[in-house]
Amino acid sequence: MDDNRDPMEYMNDDNTLDENKMKDLILDDLVKMITDMLDISPTDIRPDTIIPDELDLDSLQLYELVVDLEEVYSIRMPDEDLDNVKTVKDIVDLVFRLSTQPEK
Amino acid sequence: MRAEEAKLSELLVRIYENVLLTEEQALSKGYFSDLSNAEMHTLDAIGPYEARTMTETATDLGVTTGTLTVAIDRLVKKGYVLRKRDEADRRIVRISLTKNGKLACRIHTKFHTVLAKRILEPYSLEDQEKLIKMVSEIDDYVASQLRRYSGSDSIRKTAKKVAEEGRRREENG
Repeated sequence: MDDNRDPMEYMNDDNTLDENKMKDLILDDLVKMITDMLDISPTDIRPDTIIPDELDLDSLQLYELVVDLEEVYSIRMPDEDLDNVKTVKDIVDLVFRLSTQPEK
Repeated sequence: MRAEEAKLSELLVRIYENVLLTEEQALSKGYFSDLSNAEMHTLDAIGPYEARTMTETATDLGVTTGTLTVAIDRLVKKGYVLRKRDEADRRIVRISLTKNGKLACRIHTKFHTVLAKRILEPYSLEDQEKLIKMVSEIDDYVASQLRRYSGSDSIRKTAKKVAEEGRRREENG
């Protein structure tokens, strides 16, 4: 997913490090949610795993993930953004972007 | 009646009925079969995010708070809605959706957007804009007819009030 948003000037110089660390944490959370839901091993989930094709998620389970992520990260994930999500990494990037963008 | 008029009038009624029927069928065959169409729209009015007051939600739905209270009682029992008294002002009741309520709301919204997406898909962008413009005009026209009726209703009420006033004055005088 292309992310053309501003590079978050409120972060300091080591922002790449912060960003990667945060994304790793989000990925950990997401993997835990999916493995809890589907009873599969965490090793079955890679960042490039395609959702829902490679994971056996139906639309209800997909929205369950969305509602859980919204709750945990205090964000809103609109359908327009979710329409562009194809892989696990896309979800991580989206959660990262939504949770770091300044409140409107 | 011209053939075009007959056709449009038939289409209008059919689209209205079929959208409702499809929604009902989708609900009854889907994950949330214990929800009626009206209940689904109540969840929609509350929305998946911040808690809302009863009064706000009732206004959005165009029902009285009394009617809404009955509906909310049922939705609380079915596990879709949470009801809480405001800590600061105990008179205010705030309602929000449970996780199940949020899921139902999200999936229902998706139903509507997918329907619209599929309808628009076959057309070019230009034709899509044209279609939306024409359907909006239909919507505006029908809405204006409805306003005329609700307008005459208030006129009737005013007339009744004036008549009663007059009668009372006559009796007193």
